[in-house]
Amino acid sequence: MTDKKIGKYTVKIIREKCIGAASCTAIAPGVFELDEEQIARIISQQGNDDETKLLAAQSCPTAAVIVVDNESGDQVWPIISK
Amino acid sequence: MQQLPPPKQYVAKLADTEPLNGKFIKFQFELVEPNLLEFIAGQYVSFLVSDKGERRSYSICSSPEVKHSFEITVDTTPEGLGVNFLKNLQFGQEVQVLGPMGVFIVQEEPREENLVFVATGSGVAPFHSMIPNLLREKEDKREITLYWGLRHEEDMIWQDEFQDLAQAFPNFHFHPVLSQALQEWPLCRGHVNDCLNIHTLPTGNTGYYLCGNAKMIQEIKELLINKGIAETAIHHEKFY
Ligand SMILES: Cc1cc2nc3c(=O)[nH]c(=O)nc-3n(C[C@H](O)[C@H](O)[C@H](O)COP(=O)(O)OP(=O)(O)OC[C@H]3O[C@@H](n4cnc5c(N)ncnc54)[C@H](O)[C@@H]3O)c2cc1C
Ligand code: SF4
Repeated sequence: MTDKKIGKYTVKIIREKCIGAASCTAIAPGVFELDEEQIARIISQQGNDDETKLLAAQSCPTAAVIVVDNESGDQVWPIISK
Repeated sequence: MQQLPPPKQYVAKLADTEPLNGKFIKFQFELVEPNLLEFIAGQYVSFLVSDKGERRSYSICSSPEVKHSFEITVDTTPEGLGVNFLKNLQFGQEVQVLGPMGVFIVQEEPREENLVFVATGSGVAPFHSMIPNLLREKEDKREITLYWGLRHEEDMIWQDEFQDLAQAFPNFHFHPVLSQALQEWPLCRGHVNDCLNIHTLPTGNTGYYLCGNAKMIQEIKELLINKGIAETAIHHEKFY
């Protein structure tokens, strides 16, 4: 069973990268919405569980959604190659 | 806005591949679990293309009436992670797909009086789902025009199909445009912008749907706005 945690991850949007493809809003409508310019914005960090937030970020065709682990401060997505 | 089917995670398996020419390959996937995919013509799916969680999006180019399988058409020239993932799939191999997604669909409310579709390259893929769906399945009587820009004649796919539709449905008009056409090419040459510039475009309540790369979308948008088209009437899907 998946552990539906909320609050482990913080998501951020890089506005310049967003093409308004609306994957993030489709997957996590509680967290993302499109603004008047058809660019994604965050409506709530708690609107969906962490797993859904990560999936929404991974589905973004331009990697415009960044996911950060609140505890460690590490960027979880996009993966930074070391 | 129209109610969109919620995206789900699907397992699908490669059922068929069809090289359409040297540039484009069509892939057909059969749904495994769940075994039916409900989508609206114009939407896309996102494939998991690496074990690191990387994904690539592809517009569904098949009819939304067919729910047990779906097709995508891919421009293979980028040769990156997504293209190579798809090209290396074996028949029957399972893929993880997330979908349907996207809001690039023909608007229902308010209803537009005419529809103009503009694509470059693989940007024609969602229109290959939308146009037959409108004409055949929805018996749509609005004036529907497709402008499609490519470089060479040999890059063209579905030319006969679109031409047959234009013959069968007098309200559908097809304008292929080649930027590197041979002398004998009888139709529009240059970029799709050049073609749009010389045609009289319907204004009023017409929906303009643009699909392709970011530069093309920006240029066509500017051209349309300069011709008096309202920005709100212009919808787009950027592939890259
Ligand atoms: C909503 C959406 C729908 C899409 N639908 C389709 C589709 O139906 N068919 C399709 O072929 N592609 C489609 N794409 C593009 C697709 O997701 C990939 O970007 C593309 O296949 C390249 O991925 P790659 O990993 O092989 O190459 P990458 O290494 O990611 O890209 C290499 C470069 O190729 C160029 N490129 C990307 N896509 C294309 C393209 N389609 N044609 C020409 N050059 C390109 C870009 O300049 C990019 O920087 C879509 C993209 C989005 C956002
Ligand atoms: S998925 Fe990415 S490109 Fe699409 S709306 Fe969300 S942030 Fe923007």
